[in-house]
Amino acid sequence: MTMTTTNDLITQTPAKRRFGGGDLIGLSVILALAVVGYFLFPTNLALLTRIIAIALLVLSLDLVTGYCGVATLGHAALFGAGAYAAGIASAHYGINDPLAMLAFGIVAGAVAGLVCGAVILRAHGLPQLVLSIALIHLFHEFANKASSWTGGSDGLSGIAPSALIGLYEFDLWGRTAYVFGVVLLALVFALLRLIVRSPFGMLCRAIKEDPVRIRSMGASPKAALMKMYVISGAVAGVGGALNAISTQVVGLDSLSFTMSAESLVMLVLGGTGSLFGALTGTIVFMFFEDVVSAANPFHWLTMVGALLIAVVLFAPKGLYGTAAAIVARRREAK
Amino acid sequence: MTVPGREWAVPQGGNMKRTILAALAALAMSGAAYADTIKIGVVGPFSGPFALQGKNFKAGIDAYMAVNGSKVGDDDIEIIYRDVPQADPAQSKALAQELVVREGVQYLAGFYFTPDAMAVTPLLEQANVPLVIMNAATSAIVTKSPLVVRTSFTTWQTSTPIAKVAKDAGVSKVISVVSDYGPGVDAENAFKAGFEAAGGEVVEAIRMPLATNDFSPIMQRIKDSGAEGVFAFLPSGPTTLGFVKAYNENGLKSGGIKFFAPGDLTQESDLPALGEAALGIQTTFHYAVSHVSPENKAFVEAAAKAIGNPAELSFPSVGAYDGMHVIYKMIEATGGEQDAQKAVDAVKGLSWTSPRGPVSIDPESRHITQNIYLREVAKADDGTYYNKEVQTFEKQGDPGLAALK
Amino acid sequence: MQTVFSIAIDALAYGMVLFVISIGLSVTMGLMRVVNLAHGAFAMIGGYIASYAARDLGLAYGFAIVLAVFGTILIAIPIERLLYRRIYGAPELTQVLMTIGITFCIIGIANYVFGPTLKTVPLPAQLQGSVDLGFRAIATHRLFAILCGLAVAAALWYAIERTAFGVKLRASVDNAAMAAALGVRTEIVYAVSFAIAVGLAAFGGVVGAELLPVEPYYALRYMVTFLVVVSVGGAGSIPGALVACLLLGGIDTTGRYLMPEFGEFFFYLAVIAIICVFPRGLAGRAKG
Repeated sequence: MTMTTTNDLITQTPAKRRFGGGDLIGLSVILALAVVGYFLFPTNLALLTRIIAIALLVLSLDLVTGYCGVATLGHAALFGAGAYAAGIASAHYGINDPLAMLAFGIVAGAVAGLVCGAVILRAHGLPQLVLSIALIHLFHEFANKASSWTGGSDGLSGIAPSALIGLYEFDLWGRTAYVFGVVLLALVFALLRLIVRSPFGMLCRAIKEDPVRIRSMGASPKAALMKMYVISGAVAGVGGALNAISTQVVGLDSLSFTMSAESLVMLVLGGTGSLFGALTGTIVFMFFEDVVSAANPFHWLTMVGALLIAVVLFAPKGLYGTAAAIVARRREAK
Repeated sequence: MTVPGREWAVPQGGNMKRTILAALAALAMSGAAYADTIKIGVVGPFSGPFALQGKNFKAGIDAYMAVNGSKVGDDDIEIIYRDVPQADPAQSKALAQELVVREGVQYLAGFYFTPDAMAVTPLLEQANVPLVIMNAATSAIVTKSPLVVRTSFTTWQTSTPIAKVAKDAGVSKVISVVSDYGPGVDAENAFKAGFEAAGGEVVEAIRMPLATNDFSPIMQRIKDSGAEGVFAFLPSGPTTLGFVKAYNENGLKSGGIKFFAPGDLTQESDLPALGEAALGIQTTFHYAVSHVSPENKAFVEAAAKAIGNPAELSFPSVGAYDGMHVIYKMIEATGGEQDAQKAVDAVKGLSWTSPRGPVSIDPESRHITQNIYLREVAKADDGTYYNKEVQTFEKQGDPGLAALK
Repeated sequence: MQTVFSIAIDALAYGMVLFVISIGLSVTMGLMRVVNLAHGAFAMIGGYIASYAARDLGLAYGFAIVLAVFGTILIAIPIERLLYRRIYGAPELTQVLMTIGITFCIIGIANYVFGPTLKTVPLPAQLQGSVDLGFRAIATHRLFAILCGLAVAAALWYAIERTAFGVKLRASVDNAAMAAALGVRTEIVYAVSFAIAVGLAAFGGVVGAELLPVEPYYALRYMVTFLVVVSVGGAGSIPGALVACLLLGGIDTTGRYLMPEFGEFFFYLAVIAIICVFPRGLAGRAKG
């Protein structure tokens, strides 16, 4: 499985500093965007919160696809596991504290990551893709069957998160959910920057390039990938839990093939192998979809299709990846 | 097919630009509009696999506004559509939130899927907005908030009478075959309750995955069960077609095994594809496009014009049409002021003659009470197929609510 | 025993329909190395053309099939020249993005042009009705689909293994640069293979329309099924695809008969098991 990635452009040398200037810039960009979003769309915070939840899923997908080269069309399994765990904790056990629900989501996501990783890592390339498809269908069907727990196809309702740290209610305007989401995203982003540039992160990238060589060096590719899968599950679990807390409902769609495929499309759109690429892809795709589907709810799919084709034709490394490549080329020219 | 190759290949730049411009223009206009424009937010599947149903929503709404005008008193009515292609409660809720908070809609309507409607109910009270459901057919939705009114039907409502029909036809052993999702399970329970009350026996109840393409093994199963009839529920579209065809081709029809179902299976837009295979199938439902009444004639005329191709007209359109009627009555009662509780109270007990026949809003449940018709697929003189009404079950409420308790 | 036979017949019929529709995808994915998620879209275009020709224009079934195959190829030519040519040899995820984009566009256009209702391809009198096999009845068009599947399998196998074109194709696949150096015009070889794959998709779309009816969402609805079948068989292998279709058809049919409630579980667990045993597909070639 070969993939164009941007990470080889950006960091050829392992960063010595634990937390570099790039991270600070990245964090400030996220926070600045969040503030701009808040004031630009004060009446559409629900959409922004949803974008953040999906961005967490896409970041999580980037960890295994972009950094480890695992092809998967079943990543929503981890997201949905997190969403259902957080939702079930509240709806069935009365655990309504958002932070506790979040913890449930993270653990469930990590466990789902463990299960998916154990299966998906058994093959490569196309068969691997099919394994992931089979898994997401199994998860979906399982949630449909366990309807006394999950509400089946009617969706899990009755999720009632209490006020965040006892102070901020989740209201109609969605301000609390939005701020909560932004904080989560910033934290996760900072953590992931550390992880992908740690020796472990480097090992994963190396495995993607040449697993045989890594094995002959004495490291175990499988163990490293499994570890990354669990981390990825935890991140997706955060996204799922955020989704469950902010929308107070969980549907089977959060465990669906469609959701998995869409997240992969967003990742490739932005550029694989870079956390910024994942964020860019999510924001561009979700915004574009929101605008065109509101403008023409009947035929917007054609326009989304045209966008995807245009990106492949004019920005083959993804939006962020291509931009980064251009910037890098300019720098070299100087 | 007169699509020249070029158009397929060139991303539709011109079109897109025009649409975005149009959207911007619409935005600017809505900003400058007068304060007495009342906005109604309609959420439904307008693209994707259920686009047909969303199209019917729009046709019903357009038809109502064409017949009754786009003004109530002095207030202009504006409809804002939002697309949720497949059941996606989170998306539905985010869109409803956006409609209420940003667009300032006073009414929420539409909703084809139950989870999408369920997700929105917690918002209503805080938003001071009534929700008029134009399709979603699970009984429990109306219990989730006192601000929900439903003008469509429930699966219990349409599936219960067919049990009596089956028994009356002399069938006492039936096998139930449904798609494994909410409405399917509802249909199975409704039929079982009705059929056992009538003294029949459901010998086996099969739930098959939604994504079933090949129904031959299911047909074999039906044959082996020794039942005299089969009760089926599947979502309309490709699955229905596959199921009905398999029923014919595997010799069940010729073998004398009778076929009973609620009317979702023979919705009018599927009939041209089903054709000969559907002939003689008996279903019970709240609406047939062929219903004979002056109200329906006027409705079909207006709705066919709105949808473009009359063959695409189907039951969600009438739910939407009557939904608009209820909303208009609400606006009249509140004088255009935003008062959700007053609006809902105003339509409790409201009765009128809908294109489907006499209907009323039950003051207790806020669900529509209506006639359910037994229909049989028949061939018209011009070679097209239609649902011919043969028997009427008058003033049916929702038995599903009683079953909930 | 009768039940076993009956299930076997159903499995054979379903498997062969799957084969006819998916084999074109096996050609693009295995031989041309393009993850063509728009395969279903081409099958759908074929179905629409046949439906329009047979139902609205009243042409004969056979003629409608021919029209569908060549019409779809005609539509696909500009798409291949303008879009696909840009992604040959590109990373797989880029191909996924492009072909999903194409699929979205085609769905949107089909919805706009033909509307969202189901379209059928009326069968000729000879293919209507059922044939009595003694212990049960089977639809005639299913027998027809089985025959079509066998014919397609034989023809493809012959074309790839026994003709000069097949030699060139295999050479281009194994090493495009070397093949070009030896005088094979790889661009033409690719264009022709693409046309064949699209034609097969359209053919499958028409023949399989009784089982998988044509509507705008067709292109995405069955994409997963096609992808699974081809990958389990091992992309690019005709016998592999045939075996995979029959095997998966058999598992699916048996599962749905024995325990329809858990049909999905049965099918996808089997897929996982097969891939764990054959990580490169049933007839997997060297790494793809």
